[in-house]
Amino acid sequence: MALLEIEGLTRTFGGLRAVGDLSFNVGEQEVLGLIGPNGAGKTTVFNLITGYVQPSAGRIRLDGKSVVGLRPHAVARRGIARTFQIVKPFPGLTVKENVTLAAFLRHPARRDAEAFALDVLGRLGLGSRAGDLASQLTLLDQKRLELAKALATGPRLLLLDEPMGGLNPSEVDVASGMVEEIRRGGVTVILVEHVMKAIMRISDRVVVVNQGEKIAEGPPAQVVREPAVLAAYFGKRSA
Amino acid sequence: MRSLAPWLAGAVALAALPVFAPNSFFLHVAILILMWTLLGAAWNVLGGFAGQVSFGHAALFGIGAYVTMILYLKAGVSPWWGIPVGGLVAALASLPIGLVCFRLRGPYFSLATLAVAEIVKLVALNWEAVTNGPVGFLITGLPPLRVFGLAVDWESKLPFYVVAALLALAGLASTAWLRTSRLGAYLVAIRENEDAAEAVGIDTVRAKVMTLALSAFLAGMGGGFYAFYFRYVDPDAVLNISLSMEMVFIAMVGGLGTVGGPLIGAIFLTTVGETVRERFQVGHLIFYGLFMMLAIRYMPEGIWGRARKLFSSLQARVLGHGAA
Repeated sequence: MALLEIEGLTRTFGGLRAVGDLSFNVGEQEVLGLIGPNGAGKTTVFNLITGYVQPSAGRIRLDGKSVVGLRPHAVARRGIARTFQIVKPFPGLTVKENVTLAAFLRHPARRDAEAFALDVLGRLGLGSRAGDLASQLTLLDQKRLELAKALATGPRLLLLDEPMGGLNPSEVDVASGMVEEIRRGGVTVILVEHVMKAIMRISDRVVVVNQGEKIAEGPPAQVVREPAVLAAYFGKRSA
Repeated sequence: MRSLAPWLAGAVALAALPVFAPNSFFLHVAILILMWTLLGAAWNVLGGFAGQVSFGHAALFGIGAYVTMILYLKAGVSPWWGIPVGGLVAALASLPIGLVCFRLRGPYFSLATLAVAEIVKLVALNWEAVTNGPVGFLITGLPPLRVFGLAVDWESKLPFYVVAALLALAGLASTAWLRTSRLGAYLVAIRENEDAAEAVGIDTVRAKVMTLALSAFLAGMGGGFYAFYFRYVDPDAVLNISLSMEMVFIAMVGGLGTVGGPLIGAIFLTTVGETVRERFQVGHLIFYGLFMMLAIRYMPEGIWGRARKLFSSLQARVLGHGAA
């Protein structure tokens, strides 16, 4: 059985169909790339899975159990963590305090939570910045912190919303390495990303959406040659 | 040990103060300061830590005042039971208020609390069977009480001073507890970014409702104390919007989200308020308002927050010189 099953997922905002009849599965320890042109509805899919937005129709199941209707904190408790495209740190708190807040979810005692937070920070190469204010970090480090917070909740499934956005090519390599490391740690990943180099390198499988609907699915190297995908990205003539 | 020292010093100062009080007006001002410390602390728990700005805390204060008064007059329950029960009823009443108002964020939350307070006031004005309507309640005498074999003299200010001091300490101690607790950490996360707090698994509604209940308990006890000290309760006196505003100002001028802030805010605003009231019978609120504007303009982090910042920069400079 797949870890995450999405079936007929639909969400309309007024007359606009942001996500329409979308279905896909994600297997245990898979890295799934979710790609599509700007405005295709990728972030809305994340908001639907994590309870920030309620679906108009459709099913979302983690391990066979529905997560539809749960509030975001309850979805996190079930084991789905997310990062935001525009990072959302707690800016007035230190890096360690930021991650400790997330670690409280599985480690109610402060001492355990802090120890786990430092462990996660060490793994992501942020150990030396633990005492700095989150607002003082560079963009790469802020993305690391966003990832550290998500990982500190002890997720089984991690949704990454453009973790490479705004990074330079060498930073993209660093970030790709981190995602591969996370997967080796036993976490399943769904990755929304525009940096194709990263998608090609780390995804096992890719789902392409356009205008809220799935237009292709398969291994990355094969999907990027499909005419429908090329048309969505570059227009009909180049297809 | 270090964290206990200021508490001990404060307790000693509180115990010594009535001995050195020159007259009963001085003690009266001290009682007002302690009552406002409790109320400022009550508001600060929600507004300072969780960043949820309530303009309706008068409702919680008023509920505590009415409950204490009604229990005493209609059921013969002494105020020392009535005050904590008033706090509990205010905490219970805060649950539905929280469930309604916390659906809204930011300024919309603040406006909703303002509306709730007005509704509570209208209920008190019109539900005459329970509240006596606009007439309110008056107590003429307090029940006889012996403490350690000595009869308590209700005509002196001293017993009220003792009760107010205990209540203010309770308010400050719960703030200190909150600051180091997990709930306190959650509240700071909510203040910083509510969506991000949910994302890391924090039940933001539950944390806010629990904090409002704590805040309401403290504000309700403040109301109960008011009824017991002033012996008079009516909707204009205990459900007035100016009470809500005063709690906001004390917490802000003292220092939002700090433990000592409400005490400092209460000391400054009560003494400034009483002094200008004496000097200028007409228009004293103008000077009071001016003081507040200057304080907020030049010390947005509050008096306590500013003092702490100055102290730590001084400390850094001294230590820096020592190292060099």
